[in-house]
Amino acid sequence: MTVDLNLVGAKGAIAEAAAGKWGMTIDQDICTGCQACVAACAMENNIAFVGEEDAGYGRTQHWIRIERFWDGEYPHVQATPFQPMLCQQCGHAPCEPVCPVFATPHSPAEDLNLQVYNRCVGTRYCANNCPYQVRSFNWRDYHTVPELGNMVNGALIFPLHNQLNPDVTVRRRGVMEKCTFCIQRIHKAQDKAKSEGREVEDGEFTTACAQACPASAITFGRVDHPESLVSQLAHQERGVKHLEELNTLPRVTYLKEG
Amino acid sequence: MIRKFFEWVLSPMGRIAVVITVMSLFSLAAYGVYQTQQPPEQPIQFTHKLHVGLGIQCLYCHPGALRGPSPGLPTINKCWGCHQQIAKTQTSPLLKPMVDAMNAGVGFMWVPVAQVPDFVHFTHRPHVAAGLNCENCHGDMTKVTIAENPQVMNMGWCLNCHKSRTEDNFQNNPTGDAGVSAQLEKKRTKLTDCGTCHY
Amino acid sequence: MSQKISRRDFLKLATAGAATTAVLTGCGPASRYVTREPYTKMPEYTYNGLSTYYATTCRECAAGCGLIVRTMQGRAIKVEGNPANPINLGKTCARGQATLHGLYNPDRVEFPVKQARSAALATTAMNWDEAFQVVSDALSKTNASEIAFLLGTASDHLFDLVTDLAKAIGAPAPIRYGALSMFESRATLSKAAENLLGEAGLPFFDMAGADLVVSFGSNFLETWLSPVAYTRGFAKMRRGNTQKRGYLIQFESQMSQTAAKADEWIPLLPGTEGLVALALGRLVAEAKGGTTPRAFASVNVEDVSAKSGVSLEQLEHIAGLIAQAQAPLAIPGGQALGQSNGLSTAEAVLAFNALVDNYGKPGGVFISPLSPNEDAYHRPANAKEMADFIATMKSGGVKTLFIHGVNPLFELPKSLGFIEALASVPTVISFATFPDETAIASDYIFPDHQGLEAWGYQRSATGAMQSVLSGAQPVVSPMYDTRSTVDVLIEATRLAGGKFAEALPFTDEVAFIRNKIANLIGRTDGSFVAPEINTFASYFQQHGGWWSAAGVSAPSSSASALGKAITVEEAEFSGDGEFFFIPFVSPTLGEAGANKPWLQELPDPMTTVMWNSWVAINPETAHHLGIENDDVVKIISEAGEVEVAVYEYPAIHPEVVAMPFGQGHTAYGRFATARLPQDRFMDLVPHGGLVGDATKRGANPVDVLGARFNKAGDLAFAGMKVKIEKTGRKQYLSRLESRIGVYGEGFPEEK
Repeated sequence: MTVDLNLVGAKGAIAEAAAGKWGMTIDQDICTGCQACVAACAMENNIAFVGEEDAGYGRTQHWIRIERFWDGEYPHVQATPFQPMLCQQCGHAPCEPVCPVFATPHSPAEDLNLQVYNRCVGTRYCANNCPYQVRSFNWRDYHTVPELGNMVNGALIFPLHNQLNPDVTVRRRGVMEKCTFCIQRIHKAQDKAKSEGREVEDGEFTTACAQACPASAITFGRVDHPESLVSQLAHQERGVKHLEELNTLPRVTYLKEG
Repeated sequence: MIRKFFEWVLSPMGRIAVVITVMSLFSLAAYGVYQTQQPPEQPIQFTHKLHVGLGIQCLYCHPGALRGPSPGLPTINKCWGCHQQIAKTQTSPLLKPMVDAMNAGVGFMWVPVAQVPDFVHFTHRPHVAAGLNCENCHGDMTKVTIAENPQVMNMGWCLNCHKSRTEDNFQNNPTGDAGVSAQLEKKRTKLTDCGTCHY
Repeated sequence: MSQKISRRDFLKLATAGAATTAVLTGCGPASRYVTREPYTKMPEYTYNGLSTYYATTCRECAAGCGLIVRTMQGRAIKVEGNPANPINLGKTCARGQATLHGLYNPDRVEFPVKQARSAALATTAMNWDEAFQVVSDALSKTNASEIAFLLGTASDHLFDLVTDLAKAIGAPAPIRYGALSMFESRATLSKAAENLLGEAGLPFFDMAGADLVVSFGSNFLETWLSPVAYTRGFAKMRRGNTQKRGYLIQFESQMSQTAAKADEWIPLLPGTEGLVALALGRLVAEAKGGTTPRAFASVNVEDVSAKSGVSLEQLEHIAGLIAQAQAPLAIPGGQALGQSNGLSTAEAVLAFNALVDNYGKPGGVFISPLSPNEDAYHRPANAKEMADFIATMKSGGVKTLFIHGVNPLFELPKSLGFIEALASVPTVISFATFPDETAIASDYIFPDHQGLEAWGYQRSATGAMQSVLSGAQPVVSPMYDTRSTVDVLIEATRLAGGKFAEALPFTDEVAFIRNKIANLIGRTDGSFVAPEINTFASYFQQHGGWWSAAGVSAPSSSASALGKAITVEEAEFSGDGEFFFIPFVSPTLGEAGANKPWLQELPDPMTTVMWNSWVAINPETAHHLGIENDDVVKIISEAGEVEVAVYEYPAIHPEVVAMPFGQGHTAYGRFATARLPQDRFMDLVPHGGLVGDATKRGANPVDVLGARFNKAGDLAFAGMKVKIEKTGRKQYLSRLESRIGVYGEGFPEEK
């Protein structure tokens, strides 16, 4: 007798729908490490800046960061290709099963890893278990540090709050956060398409990072649609997935050099 | 120290204290819930009863519900559009705040009644598009003066409706059609997904 | 059980319970009474909860990238690129994204002020009518020849207005300056183009069409000229051709972000880039056969190899690659031009392009087109001209100085003496948006709008194959009581009357801009056609500018470039230190990004340092000097000294130290200067003593630069030699790449 591991949902099973729904490709050959995606992500997703000291402790809230490694010794030293690292929206996410309060569920509708801020109690188990180290924790109420505001007629006013995106929750102290694949943009595009009685088209919208990228190194779209640009790029020979051996089924494909 | 405390709790005095604490907490909770259902103080005694009774559509003053997330609160210009033609506007003491605000060129500071917390991203458009009427959630406005919130808008309330409207039963799928069943299943997945409202 | 409780005890408990309940409930529901204020009169194109998008132009640098800004209920929420603008085609850099942190910066000049210059904090608020009168008096009661205008590189409409005004009243033409133009060596580039291509203009390097790019120190992926456009060009070069992957070779003494993308980074001694270009030219010419052109005839390849430290095999290997390439392209820039021999380096590189015959061809060299409403290329002042201007100021030749969009106290090398010169100008009027160093050293600050609140236009100097005029319009109403400088000048001239009022016969800024774009009405070769000004102006706003289909021009002839003998003289270095000092513009901060908190939080792409400055030293060298990561060292040149923490950087020439420009502000708001409140815990870190005073963040490399210029008049910013001294102190740099500092990890043992 054979058991269909996919049906019983066994861990380690290669799910047939392993492709997922939304996916991304990042061309490391043309990524110039310019940080435009990081800034765009911060502006879109209300990510707090943490200041010099907390940044030194590794408490930065970057949802996407650009990794650079050194290889070799002078004069034959090389910087490895810039590697933007963000939540891989794993199909089998190691962060999901460890949450004691189910604040990191897998979205069945969008096939993404969710972070439900109102449910999160801040155990940080998920961050501990993430092999990509892409989750960040709010150690303080960074948005409302009093010294970021100005006293105007006896009231504390935060001019920077004017910039906050109303489509994204402003996280408070004690919750975990991570890249959402700009789920607010996904919802907006789906809502618009539905109101017009059609499906979301490829390239109709994109994530903030992909939109900003001056080199167009980031492509976002439906990986389950074979004709979409992101699927075609992902199936190139130079496509690799990070830590694939952990069977996390990442949705981000990196296109390596060469 | 702790032992002493437990001994005290077991004493009659302590038991009464515990009972009082429990009762206080309960009354606190009840009062809190009651408070959330009270219409707040508004800048003007706006009577929904009268306006809706005159036949004004909800969407006339809250047009955003048809297009996007927020229905919006009317601008004072919109009030004035009708009220400037009504003689009573200048004489009624109840309408004085509006006349004053209009003359000063400032808006009203409305207190929204039906609110969801910041971590919920509610959009009116799909709900209106799904055929819901305003009164399904906001109650019958012909019966209230200042807008009241008829129900506790919590997640259970949202999900109950999402679930009942996507259940594969006679009401939603009278003919038992397989295609409709699949549709309902897909909808149900979407409407019970955490990521649909929380991000 | 039988124990009785008194009525008194019961009452006590009951009261306590009631009190608790009262207190707790009191806290509860009040918090849900938020209030919402709707528009008094809602604009008809606005819907509640839906965004409105406006096209405008980025003012974070002078490149002129088009933006689409998402606004909601009158707030600017997100900056996105304008997909129609040929410069950036919908893309933005990090600095463009963070422009919102400029708009909503908590440290802005919120109203006009008069200051006591000696004590910058002693300010008096003014109203705008008084301000107009001050500007009017400054214009009309000063001898016209003793009025000076110092402007930044953005925005161009203000430059046009001031140019017209200065001409009409007989004042000297405005001087434009900026740290970026200083580090880009624009004067050198255009002078070299004039000498070799026969046309003074910025050369445009069509990287997208090339298959092999040899860059001589050019940091085109970071801040150079038009980084978004060049990044796109680079991406197309690398991956645009499915048959052949583009190849990038970078000659630079330290691995910059651009060099990190190179397939081959070849470190060499600073100042020898031009020689290497000549040697490569000679090798390629010899490989091609025939006579070696005059430009390359005199160079001795072995000699070059010895001087530069690039081995003969490497030179031959690269020459071989170039000879095989179909569309090779060489680009000069960055530190290669910031040398005493920068001009001849630029000429050598342009001559090299003539040799591989790519002038005016896809993947080759072009002359950037003039912008649609531009008569000639007005390059910003070079450092030599700034030095002359400073000398005029010192000699009392300037009685009234107007400053807008530039911060010379921070950007110019101290050795040029701008601060002393400022003291001899009786009236200094600043139009700064932010309280930067120069603004607080002025007599008056009449704050201009931030870029997103302002009208304007920006000419793109280079970056596209098209001629582009990017239009700016306000996307939000002004946050504070600020006024557009154009409006201030128009109002002031109206008050002054006579020739002043005649000089600017406009009702306001919009009328002036309409006047300046009127020559484009009816032109059919552009992004849109409109028959009259109202339609044209509204299209101009809607499209975010006007660009013609007309392409760049090809340089006249490559033969003349090859026929000129080029000698790259030995680079001169001032100072007797043992290290070459290379300052470079921080890729994330640019020239004026230090007050934007998210730009501070962005890690430098190479070192991943945030919120601070560093000096990059080869680990080998550091070891010899007995210093390690995070040690604070003193960098001493003949012109000055700075203290900065060490970053052991594996990819830098052992004789070179490099330092980013962008930090070290003494003013410019809380993010650029003081530490954030949460940083107070820094003191709790073992050995984490603060460096210097807490009112300064990082250090400014221009403090050690001397007043040396190259032949085109640009600052020889990479022509200093410095000494390095230990201070014995440590400052732990916050880096993304390492967790040093977490709970004392990696710190030395307590002694």
